[in-house]
Amino acid sequence: MQKMRTIPKIEIDHSMCLTPFDCKKCLQICPQAVFFVEAVKVERFKETNLKEPGAFRLEAPSRYACSGCNDCVEACPVDAITITWP
Amino acid sequence: MCFMCDMWGEGGVWFNNPKAYSRRIYKLRAPGTSLRKYGETSELGIGALMEKVQRARSDDPDQFPGLLNEVNEAIVRQGSGQAVTLKEACDIVDMGMPLASMHCICRKNVRAIEETNAQEYSCLGTGVGMFKWERWPERYRGGVHFMAAQEAKEWLEKWDKAGFMHLVMMIGGNYVEGICNCEYPACLAIRRRLDLGLLTLIKGHYVAQVDYDTCIGCGECIKRCQFGALKFEVRLDKANIDHFACYGCGLCETECTTGAIKMVERKTFPALREVW
Repeated sequence: MQKMRTIPKIEIDHSMCLTPFDCKKCLQICPQAVFFVEAVKVERFKETNLKEPGAFRLEAPSRYACSGCNDCVEACPVDAITITWP
Repeated sequence: MCFMCDMWGEGGVWFNNPKAYSRRIYKLRAPGTSLRKYGETSELGIGALMEKVQRARSDDPDQFPGLLNEVNEAIVRQGSGQAVTLKEACDIVDMGMPLASMHCICRKNVRAIEETNAQEYSCLGTGVGMFKWERWPERYRGGVHFMAAQEAKEWLEKWDKAGFMHLVMMIGGNYVEGICNCEYPACLAIRRRLDLGLLTLIKGHYVAQVDYDTCIGCGECIKRCQFGALKFEVRLDKANIDHFACYGCGLCETECTTGAIKMVERKTFPALREVW
């Protein structure tokens, strides 16, 4: 278990980040695998369209593991990610 | 014996008990009709509790240790995932018909990796539940791919060679749900255990041991360990395994070219007997 230490706030602007599963740049570049993408539009017996705006939502539930390398901020094509340190 | 063997093993290893694959046990998993007393925690509740612990690690570090203990106690009552060697996984496959491979939900969520066909599927579901899972395209894109036991064993070997460790999944009843092929950090079970200390994954029934007479120090095994248990000891020119960090997945054993690494039963080590 990691020791208690400074943990950043990771804010994701969901009005800019519309198709995170299709873009997946931050998800795959993060060395600490901080991000998590989940379908928010779920219809029974139907595959959720990866390219549909708003169908998937990006979160950062493992932000305790963030080292602050800023790779995701630089990789994001719509500048939706902000990392702030206390 | 691990806590799951104590509960369901009936004298042996819990996932070798044929009951863990029976249709009856699967049906009994429905809320309120379980064989076991869940207490206040429902099957759905445990997943939500795990997420709560994960969030508390970032949002509320002061509350985190207390919450972690609470959730771990609930997991010990309900069961969790366990690391298995390739051989143990093949034995599970022999009992777990029907078998079907499918999309890995962890890599989909954490790395946005799409597995859209039978060649890419890296998760294995066992038992009658698979007939139902096939109908969930909203969660398992492309459905599932049914396999015979021999095909499933070859499929397991393929992912073992690629470098995924195997774990047997069982959350919410003594029913074996399937075998995952996993790697840190994209696997939520390994991640939550290693990062947070949650018992989502417990150590397996084996521990890897190196025979220093046969080890040639090639170092091939070292890059396969997901748990940081293996290192190359420079002056000895041998692989060194930390028994307390070893999860017993056997990835180092299957890679060893000289047969220097053997999987030894955990219960034969006095100090490891209760280390899960």
